[in-house]
Amino acid sequence: MDSNSIWLRRTLMSGISRRSVLQGLGTAGLAAGLSLPLAGRAAAADPVTLRWWSPQASPDQLKMYQTQIATFEAAHPGVKIAFEPTSDEGYPAQLAAAFASKQLPNIVTHLPSFAAQNYYGQGLLEPMDDVIKAIGEDKYFPGANDVYKTADGHYCGTAIGNTAADMLWLRKDLMQKAGVDAAPTTWDELRTACQKMQGGGIYGAPLPYGLNSMTSLIFIGFIHRAGGQIFSPDLAVAIDSQPTYDALEFYKSMREFCPPGATNYSWGESLTAFVSGATATGIYAGRVLANVTSQNPAIADSVTCVTYPTISKDVASWTFNDFPSVFIPKDIANMAETKAFAAFLFEPKGYVPQLLAAPGHVLPVLKTIAEDPTYLADPIIQKYKAEVNLMAGAAAAGKNLGYETDKHKPNLKANEIIASNVIAELVQRVVLNGEDAKATVGDIAKKLEGLMKA
Amino acid sequence: MTIAASQHRTQNPLERRYALLGVLLIAPTVLILCAVIVYPLISAIYLSLFSIYTPTLKGSWVGLDNYVQVFGSSGFWSALGTTVTWTVGTLFLQIVFGVAMALLLNQNILFRSLARSLVLFPYFVSTVVAVLIWRWLFNDLYGILSHLLIQFGVVDMPVDWLGKMPNAMASVIFVGAWKFFPFVVIAVLARLQTIPEQLYEAATIDGAGVFGRFFDVTLPQLKDVLTIVILLRTIWDFKEFDLIYLLTGGGPVNNTRTLPLIVYQQAFGLNQMGVAATYAVAMMLVMLAFMLIYLYRARRQSP
Repeated sequence: MDSNSIWLRRTLMSGISRRSVLQGLGTAGLAAGLSLPLAGRAAAADPVTLRWWSPQASPDQLKMYQTQIATFEAAHPGVKIAFEPTSDEGYPAQLAAAFASKQLPNIVTHLPSFAAQNYYGQGLLEPMDDVIKAIGEDKYFPGANDVYKTADGHYCGTAIGNTAADMLWLRKDLMQKAGVDAAPTTWDELRTACQKMQGGGIYGAPLPYGLNSMTSLIFIGFIHRAGGQIFSPDLAVAIDSQPTYDALEFYKSMREFCPPGATNYSWGESLTAFVSGATATGIYAGRVLANVTSQNPAIADSVTCVTYPTISKDVASWTFNDFPSVFIPKDIANMAETKAFAAFLFEPKGYVPQLLAAPGHVLPVLKTIAEDPTYLADPIIQKYKAEVNLMAGAAAAGKNLGYETDKHKPNLKANEIIASNVIAELVQRVVLNGEDAKATVGDIAKKLEGLMKA
Repeated sequence: MTIAASQHRTQNPLERRYALLGVLLIAPTVLILCAVIVYPLISAIYLSLFSIYTPTLKGSWVGLDNYVQVFGSSGFWSALGTTVTWTVGTLFLQIVFGVAMALLLNQNILFRSLARSLVLFPYFVSTVVAVLIWRWLFNDLYGILSHLLIQFGVVDMPVDWLGKMPNAMASVIFVGAWKFFPFVVIAVLARLQTIPEQLYEAATIDGAGVFGRFFDVTLPQLKDVLTIVILLRTIWDFKEFDLIYLLTGGGPVNNTRTLPLIVYQQAFGLNQMGVAATYAVAMMLVMLAFMLIYLYRARRQSP
């Protein structure tokens, strides 16, 4: 009997029907249903410890996680939750080692959807269908879990949030000073705006040129915003095309508006550059709002965002959404408790404060939460209502390498492609080394083919 | 009948018992060595003959294909060149800084004991902390290094220390030297304190100046300890991972990507454990070759 069946059996044996637990009581009911098997556990000598991994671990977020953990532990005596931070750059290695050594976390949150697809494709994850049902499918925004659908008809994970990760952040005060009347919508306009705003110790933009995942993820967006793609819908390598050359040319032309150290920038440095006021524009998700409010309130009233410009008005906007996920490794101990905790994470009392630990950064995927008065009453959400709504819309329509367009098959190799840094290598070779774009793109296309075959 | 067999038969029971006791006493050490050295070594060689997906550790036999792939790729040779550049560069600076500091700390200077303790600080501080400190120092927008250079009019714009060649390699080599030179100081200082003072007196009477005394007395006396230090530090620097990974991640454009970084990326980024093991075995062979050449030359030169 697999652990899932044990979970269901325990729930049924507790005298509460699964249907009533899942639909009637929702996540609270799931926790209540779990409380009976756990009640027995309370008397048992060995407490259960669930390990929770997440790369979203700023001090404010950690504080909220601890509150959620304390609430869950209080409701489930004998169950302890140990939170362990991972990182956007480090998780592939940490999870690979964890899977190989079978020293697995019970639950992993906030990793990109393509990571979940990748691990599920290798038979390493538990389907999340019952957790989604426990949370309430009807509570999600339509299509919120589409990126988690698998070839075998299950869900490899569920969305814990949306992120519009590559919004163009602007300083209205600097725009006004430089005579930039409107937010740029095309690359030419952006370049001109950066040129006008650069000066007096302020650079135009903090675009990443480092050999890291941020450069890869961000540059993929630029290829799409030039009208191109990395793979065709049936996942043949399609990077060797004019839009990629155009994107490289633009990215190269922006180098003079970026700080010298942008050649080594990742998410943290890029964010700090804009928040500290060192750059006139930024490229990041909603964490900018909280950071500006707390770290540089002097510019807080001037900050706004738009979707990142495209090569021309004819090319539609493309927003990078990493679709922060929740997934559960297969064959872990204490599956019932883990699933109960996964569902518990979406309970409004904990989920709302968790989202508000970085308001506007991880956006709600539950309609019920997006309309929750407590969520809407947050001062930052209130102050930047237009920006948050814009990000919510952009993120909802957002895509990533695992899911480039609605027509694309899920790319189960996206995780390895990002970890290989081949896209970042393309940027560095063309922009920093000045290598021929066509030859380099051809070389990178071969590397991508190799990665897809590996 | 061999001589050994004949001797074995002539051993009395007490001697045989002593021999057995010897084997029993040495057995735990041999077993531990097998567990921590022989097993991982054989395991790495074994893994290198397979194509293995890291998270599941499942794979298929590929024989020597991984070796053909690795030795046939430009990535391996380029990373080997980078590893040698890093190792030679940082080792050279470590030896120069280390010997110079040891000579200074061997003098009767003020607060010598305190200085001897403080000089060990870089070696004891965690690599992660050291890298964080240096990354801040190197930061283009807020780093003190660029700030000072601009203040003194040396440069007009902040210097890109980590994202541009040759700056990135030079920075990594320098931080490596800063981090690890105290090891040289400890070893050399200990040896300096045992050099007989009469040798210096005799050299002075013979008219040797400061440099003469250093090259004719001190350096020959340090030769043995420096041989060991260079041997150990070469091994350690050749396989250094965390400092380089955290400082540059191997960039720009793989220009600071040493072999250990490739092993890590293959094993845990690309999930190709078999190829990673092949790189690791290749690294071991290269290091072994260097060590044998070095030891052979060192032995030939010794009187």
